Amino acid sequence: MSRGEQMKQGGSMVLNHEAAQAISAEKVASLPATPAQYRCPICGKISVNHEDLKFHYANEHPDSVVPIVVKLNVNGKDCEVLIEPHWTLQRTLQFQLGLTGAKQMCDHGACGSCTVIIDGRPVLSCITLAAECEGKRIETVEGIAADPKWKPLIDAYCRWDAMQCGYCTPGFLVTAKALLDRNPNPTEEECREALAGNICICGTYPRHSQAILEATMKMAEGGE
Amino acid sequence: MADLAGVNGQREHFRVVGKPNLPGRLSYALATGIAKFGIDYVLPNMLHAKFLRSPYAHAKVVSVETTKAWALPGVVDILTWEDEDLIKLSTGGFGPPKPWLDNIAHEEGAEVAVIVVAESEEICDEALRLLEVEWEILPHIVDILEGRKPDAPVIREGLPEIPSMFGMGGKDNPPKKGNVSYSYVIDGDIEAGFKEADHIIEFNLTIPAFASHMPNPPGSVAWWEDDPYHAPGKTLRIEGAVQRREQIAAMYGLPLEKTVQKGLFQGGKYCDWGMRRSQEITPLLAKRTGRPVRCVNTREQTYDFLMKQRYMYLKVGFKDNGLITAIDDYSIADGGVPGSSTFGTSGDQSYGPYYTFRCKNIRQRMEIVDSNRGKMYVSGQHCPFNWDAGTMAIYLIAEKLGKDPIEIAKINLHGPTSQDDPNPVPSFEACLEEGKKLMNWNWHPAGTKRLPDGRMHGASFRYQICPRHAFSGYDCKLEYQNGVVHLPTQGPVTGMYAVEVNAMVVAEELGLEYEDISIDFDYREKFTPVGGGSDGTTASAWAMKECAHILKQRLLEAAIEEAENPPRPTGMFAMPKPPSPFKGMNLKPEDLDLMDGKVVLKSDPSIGVPLAEAVTKNIFATYSGRPPDALWSLGMGRMLDTMNTAFCEVAVDTETGEVEILRFGVVADPGKIMRLTSLESQIDQVMYFSQGCQLLEDFVYDKKTGVKLHTNMIDYKKPGVLDVPHVERKFLETRAGNAAYGASGISHSLANTHLVIIAIHNAIGVWVDPPATPDKVLKALGKA
Ligand code: FES
Ligand code: FES
Repeated sequence: MSRGEQMKQGGSMVLNHEAAQAISAEKVASLPATPAQYRCPICGKISVNHEDLKFHYANEHPDSVVPIVVKLNVNGKDCEVLIEPHWTLQRTLQFQLGLTGAKQMCDHGACGSCTVIIDGRPVLSCITLAAECEGKRIETVEGIAADPKWKPLIDAYCRWDAMQCGYCTPGFLVTAKALLDRNPNPTEEECREALAGNICICGTYPRHSQAILEATMKMAEGGE
Repeated sequence: MADLAGVNGQREHFRVVGKPNLPGRLSYALATGIAKFGIDYVLPNMLHAKFLRSPYAHAKVVSVETTKAWALPGVVDILTWEDEDLIKLSTGGFGPPKPWLDNIAHEEGAEVAVIVVAESEEICDEALRLLEVEWEILPHIVDILEGRKPDAPVIREGLPEIPSMFGMGGKDNPPKKGNVSYSYVIDGDIEAGFKEADHIIEFNLTIPAFASHMPNPPGSVAWWEDDPYHAPGKTLRIEGAVQRREQIAAMYGLPLEKTVQKGLFQGGKYCDWGMRRSQEITPLLAKRTGRPVRCVNTREQTYDFLMKQRYMYLKVGFKDNGLITAIDDYSIADGGVPGSSTFGTSGDQSYGPYYTFRCKNIRQRMEIVDSNRGKMYVSGQHCPFNWDAGTMAIYLIAEKLGKDPIEIAKINLHGPTSQDDPNPVPSFEACLEEGKKLMNWNWHPAGTKRLPDGRMHGASFRYQICPRHAFSGYDCKLEYQNGVVHLPTQGPVTGMYAVEVNAMVVAEELGLEYEDISIDFDYREKFTPVGGGSDGTTASAWAMKECAHILKQRLLEAAIEEAENPPRPTGMFAMPKPPSPFKGMNLKPEDLDLMDGKVVLKSDPSIGVPLAEAVTKNIFATYSGRPPDALWSLGMGRMLDTMNTAFCEVAVDTETGEVEILRFGVVADPGKIMRLTSLESQIDQVMYFSQGCQLLEDFVYDKKTGVKLHTNMIDYKKPGVLDVPHVERKFLETRAGNAAYGASGISHSLANTHLVIIAIHNAIGVWVDPPATPDKVLKALGKA
C-alpha cells in the first residue's frame, strides 16, 4: 500500500515535509483525466458516457439541467470533470477531484479559506463557478505542497505555528504563495496587505508574516 | 519557587521544555490541506441529509405532509419527529429524557421536525420546500429586557430551570415567574458592608453576546462496514464526531469496538465542545438507507453563543482609600433556548467574578430570562469575560477618587492563600511591574489626553488569575518499543498543541529530544490532554511527567539487567551485543541516568550506552492521576498563585467615532513556559477575541420576527489581519502553578469584554456599550 493509500485509510497524520510532499504529489498525480463515472446526480443511475447521460436526462429528467463536462487544468494536470453547471470550484475540487485543501469556512467569499490561484491570482473558489475556469491554470495547496520549491514556506509555517486548529491555514498558505510569485521579497506590511482577505478565528495573524519573511530569506539563500 | 509537587517539579535546567519553534506533529498535514475535517469527507455513493429549519423564532410544527417531497426524484428518505427510529434515539445527559428531534423550534434556524435524505444537497433543499408544513407560530423573546416584563408572553411553561452545576445558585431562590428564573448567591453581610463604606457607586454594564464561531462548519459522514474481527453485525464508521466515539456508541447502543471514528481534526473549539445534530444523526440515516450519508451545517447555521448577553447593575461600596466593602450585583442574563449551558448565567456566580477581592460582602442576584435568541454549548471563555464587572468597579473607583486603577487593584487584591491573607501576591506584583514598564504606564483621568494627531488617548488595565482546570485526571501511558519511546493518545487536535507539550516533558525527563518521542495518534487510546485549554495542557503534562519517571526507572533497571545478563541475539544472523561498560559494576538504578539519548553513569557521564542498545526489551509505563490542588474545586480566585495583567491603549477620533487599538500589552506568568510559540498564539487569539466582541461582533435580531440578521461572515465581522493591533507580550516564570514544573494555564483567562471599552471611556469620558462601533461612539458623544 502506498503512503497515500495509507493516508486514505486513516493512517498516521504525523508527517514531516518529505512525507507531506510525497502525499501531495501523489494526490496531484492521481487526479483523474476523465470522470471516474457518469453518475446521474438525481437518481444515481450510471451512464457509460456523457452522451448517454444526456440521453438519460432527456428521458427521465426532461425538466432538469443536464450535468456538464468541464475541462480544468489543476496543478498542471488536465482533468475533465462531470459537474452540475452551478457547482463552485471549491465543491468541484472536493467532491470530484478529492482535493480537500480549499476549505469551506464561510461559503460567501468572506474568509479566504478556500483560496486557490487561477492564472496567477488568488481567487476564492467558493464563489467561483467551476464552469468559468475552463482553459485557466488552477493551483491548489496540494500543488504547492507537491513542489519542492515551496519547502521553505511550508517549513516556516510549521516552525512558527502559523496555525492553531489549522482549518484556515491552507487558504493563507496559497495566498502567501501567490504573493511570493509576484513579489519574492515582500515587506511585513505587504504580507499583511496580501493576507487581508483571509480570516483566522484562532488569531494566528502575526505568525504569517513571520513565516513568509523567514521563507523568503531561505528561498533567497537558495534552499532548505 | 513554590513547593512544587511531583517528580522533578523543582527541575532548574531545561533542554526541551520551553523551546520555541518545534513544529506541531500535525502541522504539515494541516498546512498542506492533507488534514481532513468532518466536512471534508466524501464517499462514493454518498447521500446528503438536511433538517427542516424553522423560519420562525419560536414555532410548533403541528403537522407535515411529505407526499410531494417523497415524489421528488432523488429523495431517498424522509423522517419526521414522530418516526420510531428518531423517538428511540437516546439523548443522554441530565434530567428527564428529551426527544432528540422535536416539533418545536426555539430559535430561528433551529432544526425541527423533519430530516430529508437525498442524492444531493440541492434535492434536499427542494424536498424541504415541497413539505407542506402547518406551523403554529408561538410568541418569541429575543430582547431579554422585554422578556422579563410581567406582561411578556411566557414562552416556556414548566418547572423553573435553575440549573445546578458545580453547586451554583442559592438555595432560597424565588420561584420562577413568567420567563424569569432566579439565582441568588449571597456571601457575607452586604448591609454592614455598605454601612462601612465612605462612598457608593452604582453603574450598569452590558456583557455582549458573542459567537463561538468554530472555523469549520460542523458535520459528519457515516457509513456501516463489514467487520470480521469483532462481534457479528456491521461496524459504524463515522467521521466528524471527533473524540465523541463513546457518546455516539451510547446514542446508538453500540459496543465501543464497533464504533469507529478515526479522523483527528476538529477545528478550533474555544470551549464550545457541544455536538451538533448534524454530527449525531448520520449513523441512523446511513443505516436506514444502506449508504454513506453526509450532513453538515452551513456557516449560517453555526452562530451559537460563546457568551450569552447579560445586563448588570452594580452597586459598590468602598472606603476613602479605595478598599471595597460591599458589592451588590443584579444581573439580567439570557437563559437562551432549552439545553443552553449554565455558564454565562448561574454557572458564573460561583465561578468567582469577585473572589480575588478582599471584600467578602457580596450579593449576586440574577434573573435568567428564557429566550429564543440561541444556544450556548458548554463554554469556558465565559468565566473571565464576566469578571469584567470587577475590572469596571476598579476603574470607576479610581475615577471617583482620582487615582490610578492599578493602585485600587492592589489595595483590593487579597493574598495568596485566602481572602483574609494580607500579603501581596508575588506573581501579580511581578506582572504589574513589568506591565507598567512595557506600557510606559502613565495614568491620566478620563478625557484629558489628546494625541498629536488630534485623537483622544485612552488606556486601561486588567488582571486575572491563570486558572487551573485539572479536574478530570489523566490516564497516561508510555511505551518503549524497539528503542523508541511512544506516546499514544487520542488527541485532541484543536490548536492547543497539548500533546506536543506532553511529548516535550517526556523528552525532558528521559534525556531525549522532542523529535525522539513518537506521538501515536489513535482514536482508541485513553490518554487525552484536555481539561480546560492550556490549563489542561499543563495539568496533563504533570501527570505525563510522573509517567515518564516510572518509565525511566524501568529503563534503568532494564539497562542494569541487560548489562549483567545480555539477552540472546534474535534473528538468524544477529550478532551478540558488545559487553556493556556497566557490566560487573554492581549498579543500582539510582547510579544511572538518561542523558542525550544514552544511559550514563551518574558519577561519570562520559561512560554511557545509547538507550536503544542499553535496553532492547519493550517496556510500558502507566500513570493515572492529576496534579494536586486543582483550584477549580477550591473556588476560583480564593487562592492566588500565577496571574496575568493586560493593558490596552486606544485612540478615539471624536469626529468619526472610530476607535483604533494602538496596542495591547500582556504580561503573563504561566508559572513555567512549556511551549513558547503556542503560548504566544493562545494570548494573541484571546486578545483578538476580546477585540472582536468589543469593537466589531454583534448578534442582531429583528425584534418583530425574532429572525437573526447577523448569521454570515460579512455582517458578523471577525477581525482580520489589518484590524488586529500589535499584542506586546512579556512572560514571567514564577513556577507558582500546580502543574508540570509549576506551570498553570493561561489561554482564556485573558478573555475580556471591557478592556477596550474602559480605554474608550478613559479617552472620551463617556460610556459606549460593546461593540463600540463608530455610530455608537458618536451617539455617546452626542454627535449622532
Ligand atoms: S469559504 Fe470561500 S471565502 Fe470563505
Ligand atoms: S488556525 Fe484555526 S482558524 Fe486559523
